[in-house]
Amino acid sequence: MNAALETLNSPLPLEAYLVVAAVMFAVGAWGAIIRRNAVVMFMCVEIMINAVNLTLVAFSDFLPAANGVGANYAVIVVAIAAAEVAVGLAIVLAVFRTRRTVNVDEVNSMKG
Amino acid sequence: MTVVFGFLAGMMLVSALGTVLSRNVVHSALFMSGSFLAVAGFFVMLGAPVLAAFQVLVYVGAVTVVILFGIMFTQRPQARRFSTIMNRQIWAGLLIALGVGGLLSVVLVAEDWGDVAAGQGNRNVEDFSLALLGVAPGTGIFVLLFEVVAVLLLVAMVAAIIISRRKPGEGEDTRPDGQQPQNIGGGS
Repeated sequence: MNAALETLNSPLPLEAYLVVAAVMFAVGAWGAIIRRNAVVMFMCVEIMINAVNLTLVAFSDFLPAANGVGANYAVIVVAIAAAEVAVGLAIVLAVFRTRRTVNVDEVNSMKG
Repeated sequence: MTVVFGFLAGMMLVSALGTVLSRNVVHSALFMSGSFLAVAGFFVMLGAPVLAAFQVLVYVGAVTVVILFGIMFTQRPQARRFSTIMNRQIWAGLLIALGVGGLLSVVLVAEDWGDVAAGQGNRNVEDFSLALLGVAPGTGIFVLLFEVVAVLLLVAMVAAIIISRRKPGEGEDTRPDGQQPQNIGGGS
């Protein structure tokens, strides 16, 4: 009983976080490949960015030489992702206004 | 720790799969914010509560709302069948995604990370912000990164305004009778 509690309370290894982040990245990549809706593709790209953030923070917490700066890089990544969402949704809105669709299979020419 | 980790991992993966597979776009957005919340929980576990707060503010708050706005502007009738929301690459895409995830997992687990232990990060806010501003020793790169990100946010804001600006007589502005509406897009 005590040993079981000990196991439950012990900190997780680094690999556990990395594998969860890798699986999350793969799910996001799958969605970005298969979905037709451009807005949902943005969501899947966000999921991939979050997976990478999780990896950065896990490394910054576990590697002594990292000195904890991985979390700082994650802040920069969050800012860039926010900028990407703003510009990306503006592009989606512009495409929707001219084409009346957000289906990326139907948007196949750059002008007209 | 293990229970919390299992809960967060399950929540994150279920939410991510829900984002990918949900037929309703609004459900996708809400699932996405669920997975962001789980990532915020992971940040707390990893000793970066400041980053968890950022995550909740920026992602669960701002990005989800912006994406919901995008959905409201571009909404169409709900899809009834999976074939209407996904293209033909669904199984090939699954294969590729499994390959990417499997390869990453195998490499990350097989790699010898050396002397690792939990709790090395900057747990208090002061060290965190000193590093982010490039004041702490060894973090000079963040002086540059911080300013680059500031300029990038400005450029993105200008770009978003310019791209989504409505030009006269375009798209929804054109009325069924072919007449152009007045006074849209500036100018009098």
